[in-house]
Amino acid sequence: MTTSPFLTMNNIEKAFNGVPVLKKVSLTVAEGEIHALLGENGAGKSTLMNILGGVHQPDHGSIQINGQDVKMSNPRVSQEQGVSFIHQELNVVADLRVYENMFLGSELRSKLGFLKVEEMCRQTNEILAKLGVDINPKEYVRNLETSYKQLIEISKALLHKSKLIIMDEPTTSLAEHEVKRLFELMRNLKKSGVSIIYISHKLKEIKEICDTYTVLRDGELVGTGSIENENLDTITKLMVGKSISQERLVDKHSFGPVVLEVNDLNSQGLYKNITFTLRKGEILGFTGLAGDGRTELFESLFGYRKKFTGQIKINNQLVKIDHPRKALEAGLALVPKDRKENAIIKDLSVIHNMSLSSIGHFEKAGFIQEKKEKDRFHYYKEKLNIKVHNPRITIDKLSGGNQQKVIIAKWLEVDTDIIIFDNPTQGIDVGAKHEIYQQILSLAEQGKAVIILSSEAPEVQKVCHHIYCMYQGEITARLKGEQATEDEIMSYATGSKREAENIG
Amino acid sequence: MANVNTIKQPNQETSTTKSRLSWLWSEYSVIIAFLVIFIAAALMNPRFLDINNQLNILMQVSIIGIVALGMTVVMLSGGIDLSVGSVLVFVGVISVLAMNATGSIFVAILTALVVGSFAGFLNGLMVAKGRIASFIATLGMMAAARSIALYIAEGGSISGEVSGFTVIANSNLWIFDFPVIIFFVMTALVYILMHKTRFGRYVYALGSNEKAALLSGIRVDRVKIGIYSLVGLLVSVAAIIETSRLNSISSSSSGVQYELDAIAAVIIGGTRMTGGRGKIMGTFFGVLILGILNNMMNLMNVSPHLQGFVKGLIIIIAVVFQKRE
Repeated sequence: MTTSPFLTMNNIEKAFNGVPVLKKVSLTVAEGEIHALLGENGAGKSTLMNILGGVHQPDHGSIQINGQDVKMSNPRVSQEQGVSFIHQELNVVADLRVYENMFLGSELRSKLGFLKVEEMCRQTNEILAKLGVDINPKEYVRNLETSYKQLIEISKALLHKSKLIIMDEPTTSLAEHEVKRLFELMRNLKKSGVSIIYISHKLKEIKEICDTYTVLRDGELVGTGSIENENLDTITKLMVGKSISQERLVDKHSFGPVVLEVNDLNSQGLYKNITFTLRKGEILGFTGLAGDGRTELFESLFGYRKKFTGQIKINNQLVKIDHPRKALEAGLALVPKDRKENAIIKDLSVIHNMSLSSIGHFEKAGFIQEKKEKDRFHYYKEKLNIKVHNPRITIDKLSGGNQQKVIIAKWLEVDTDIIIFDNPTQGIDVGAKHEIYQQILSLAEQGKAVIILSSEAPEVQKVCHHIYCMYQGEITARLKGEQATEDEIMSYATGSKREAENIG
Repeated sequence: MANVNTIKQPNQETSTTKSRLSWLWSEYSVIIAFLVIFIAAALMNPRFLDINNQLNILMQVSIIGIVALGMTVVMLSGGIDLSVGSVLVFVGVISVLAMNATGSIFVAILTALVVGSFAGFLNGLMVAKGRIASFIATLGMMAAARSIALYIAEGGSISGEVSGFTVIANSNLWIFDFPVIIFFVMTALVYILMHKTRFGRYVYALGSNEKAALLSGIRVDRVKIGIYSLVGLLVSVAAIIETSRLNSISSSSSGVQYELDAIAAVIIGGTRMTGGRGKIMGTFFGVLILGILNNMMNLMNVSPHLQGFVKGLIIIIAVVFQKRE
């Protein structure tokens, strides 16, 4: 079945701003093979795939397709070589029709320059039929389920006669039946000789669908082989390395009084029946898959979303929070996810980002005291180990980890009793990640109440006293941090299991 | 870790000198452009450097200059205000009426300030609470304010009947005309407001990333209403000068295209259309550049019909240069 390798990447090296991201990484994918690419966040998977996709250029190393050297100088070249990249965030235009998305950028036109709509629809139908699905090509994409959107991307790849499809965590936003559909599709593709590189964190899925695997850790190749001969534990160990991430950082200590009490929060279509309490000194984790509603839930608590019902009590007082400012005043802070969109003000300097939420602390007679601001920043710079040469540069010049630390400093300066972290280690390298965990722990020790939202089960296992699992807007389980296993968390987060009794 | 740091150090230093140079260019490009145009003008026509001509330029730009200060603030926040010219006329007409009715200059000034800020406040309300795009909201205000001014004045001019009103725009302190002094003072005040107070900080923040500003606990709606009210206030200051200068205001021809001149000055001054980046001082020099260009074309007898062409060209060149950085 597996013949000569379709793709070989040899000794690829890449560094960004002098920081090596890939160190002599090689990858071989045979024709008709489903190859799992594994590794923790920041291990270099995306960089490697971006090199294959022509987005980045390698500093060293070569790429061969069907035994011939190729240079992926831009995404177009890569596409012409038969490589298609299906990103985690789907690149479909919701306001266009299915066939229009399929042919976007390569529309069929008649000699007069008019679009050949019927021909495009016919070809779309053909490919969709091959994949065994029945959608009207003239349907608007915005009306389709997520899994169908993915399908459009896959169909697009087939339309371009792709021989290799890269799928970056395709199942994160899919429900179970949709995952099944996707896997069936992948098997069909495999039969027709298309190779797939499959990036995922979900080892079970990998065991189910993949033939071979490659594991990266901190930019290095640490293992490769056939899935059949390995058990999942060995692969996990390879990914994690010195099993740092298994180690629980948080230990038991006594909690203070309840500071936050949430009672029966509901919001149409986002979450329902949310009830939980948070105590002083406690770290709560909320985890689940994409679409579980946890981000929306805490955005509501923080006053960013206003349409919800239910009671919120802070320090035993009923509060009504309809603006983030009121959340601040009530003692609630939120370090949001997607730093770039939600947290950093890229045109403001590092110092000004730090002081943004608490300018009152630096004012005298209505004027901002720049000196005071600067001194305060230096305090946080030491405390959080923020690496910045000149804090007057704009914040977008810093690395992700340092940006995140500045945002944390911003909320520490506000000094609220409760701090919510949404995906606090998103896009951050391993070292900075650890520092952020340490900060979170020391906050709890100082008596703050902390909530962490994360899609990564190991993260909440590592730092949380209690873990809430959410599935499609509902809390499905409340687990003790030290007892919860990743399997258990996943089974609650995927909705395949739920706690019988009501959680209160 | 320490190893990596020592290796990176020299690398960083060369990059900082490089970034300093590019910083210098990006911070002061408008001043450099100003100097180039100033020197070119001086070489092309000796009359340009005449002190009376210089003061004349300042006098001519002072009204647009004050309007442009407000426009800078609104554009820094990511919005735009097209209604400035119309509101200026509206304010002028109403305040002259108020003055003629009461015989008090003080009432005229007070009316102007209140009416101007209120018009701005309405703009702000539409943008912040009504979630109408600023372009549309202020386009509506532009049409409405002009129309009411025309209706009240029956399409003509209204003149002041109180002696002493003209003193405001037609006196001078030492060699500077009052309007010029008012322009300078306003520039300084707006500069302080934007760089030394939390209002300014919030304007930059929401212009750069509105969602992040909101999630930082900034009352984005209130800041926006404040911004448009401030523009209205500055427009009314400009309206008082404009009216006082000739002791009358024309409902049909005063304030026409002021929004375009103000936007041009802001853009030449290096403020980014989408907000978040730009400087009050940039606008100050942008205004001066426009003034010099107008003056040069007059001195060189360029047809007034062609002057718009040159202005348009300069704006586009300015933006092309800013894209380079």
